[in-house]
Amino acid sequence: MEYIDPHIHMVSRTTDDYETLARMGCVAMSEPAFWAGFDRGSVESFRDYFRQLTQFEPKRAAQFGIKHYTWLCINAKEAENVSLSREVIAMIPEFLSAPNVLGIGEIGLNKNTKNESTIFLEHVDLAVKYNQQILIHTPHLEDKYQGTRMILDMLMGDSRIDRSRVLVDHVEEHTIQAVLENGFWAGMTLYPVTKCTPQRAADMIERYGPERLMANSAGDWGPSKPTAIPDLIMELKRRGHSRELIRRVVYDNPVAFFSQSRQFLPLENS
Amino acid sequence: MSTDPKLHRRSAEEILADEFLQARSRILDLAAFLDRLERAPGSAEQEARMRLLAEGLEILCDDEVGKAQRVQLLMSRDYDPAWQTKYGIH
Ligand SMILES: [Zn+2]
Repeated sequence: MEYIDPHIHMVSRTTDDYETLARMGCVAMSEPAFWAGFDRGSVESFRDYFRQLTQFEPKRAAQFGIKHYTWLCINAKEAENVSLSREVIAMIPEFLSAPNVLGIGEIGLNKNTKNESTIFLEHVDLAVKYNQQILIHTPHLEDKYQGTRMILDMLMGDSRIDRSRVLVDHVEEHTIQAVLENGFWAGMTLYPVTKCTPQRAADMIERYGPERLMANSAGDWGPSKPTAIPDLIMELKRRGHSRELIRRVVYDNPVAFFSQSRQFLPLENS
Repeated sequence: MSTDPKLHRRSAEEILADEFLQARSRILDLAAFLDRLERAPGSAEQEARMRLLAEGLEILCDDEVGKAQRVQLLMSRDYDPAWQTKYGIH
């Protein structure tokens, strides 16, 4: 079945992974900017990273017939460095008209600190100013509930935000409801150990229905599984769900969400 | 957006038949983990994480619904609705 992975970090993956994903039905993906596993030293590192995301990765993906889109920001972990963050935010507009940029992301919180919150709000301001969509990272483990609520407070406190153009990622059982009932899109991340299994993601689809709900692998340089969406497809099939339902979550929903960005081009359906 | 495609609903009997072995194996994993702690030198008894695990296991056995969500909340830091004032952020 054809599918889209709306959150995957391909700069950390091999070309063999692209080939495997293509064989498994991945036709498009979006790659939010995130943490490299170490803190970068200067704004120039980010400029090079954004060149990689906007120029190099789309070519690598295209070799396997996969459309590569991206989101730009300085991630929540490095946002603790406020002065560097402001330099990066000031530089981002240089890249916003690149043909594969869908918006600002993945912005969010990590340890739910004051500095992270300050930089989150400055990113939101940038997105509003440039009419960009937003992709949001919510914290992990014991920080997720608190951080997600803080993020929703900041977004809902800003009347300029169009909630249908915001995707809140890494939702789990205790955060999904607040995200969906306030009109945002929600993404479930299938990730070994720390996040959500295909079974629990299938449970959330059964509980909340497919509206404004997506799934992603968040495959990155850590222990993660870039082919996690096919695992979810298998689980939904095993439970007897229709092709139409499955396609809604793994294909139609990402297309509907991405289509709100003028850079997103219709995919050729085969 | 089009109307929602219909969700297929499995019966409780079907779910049990499909997933009994999986649940059985997870209970065994937990049981073996607790045995491992017991056999090991030293004691983790007083650690906060042990209390969290014990409370999590109680949620599995009680009569209330929403177990996954309740285990998640048990393992979460508290949210303070007045956080923005405390941080001086608006
Ligand atoms: Zn990510």
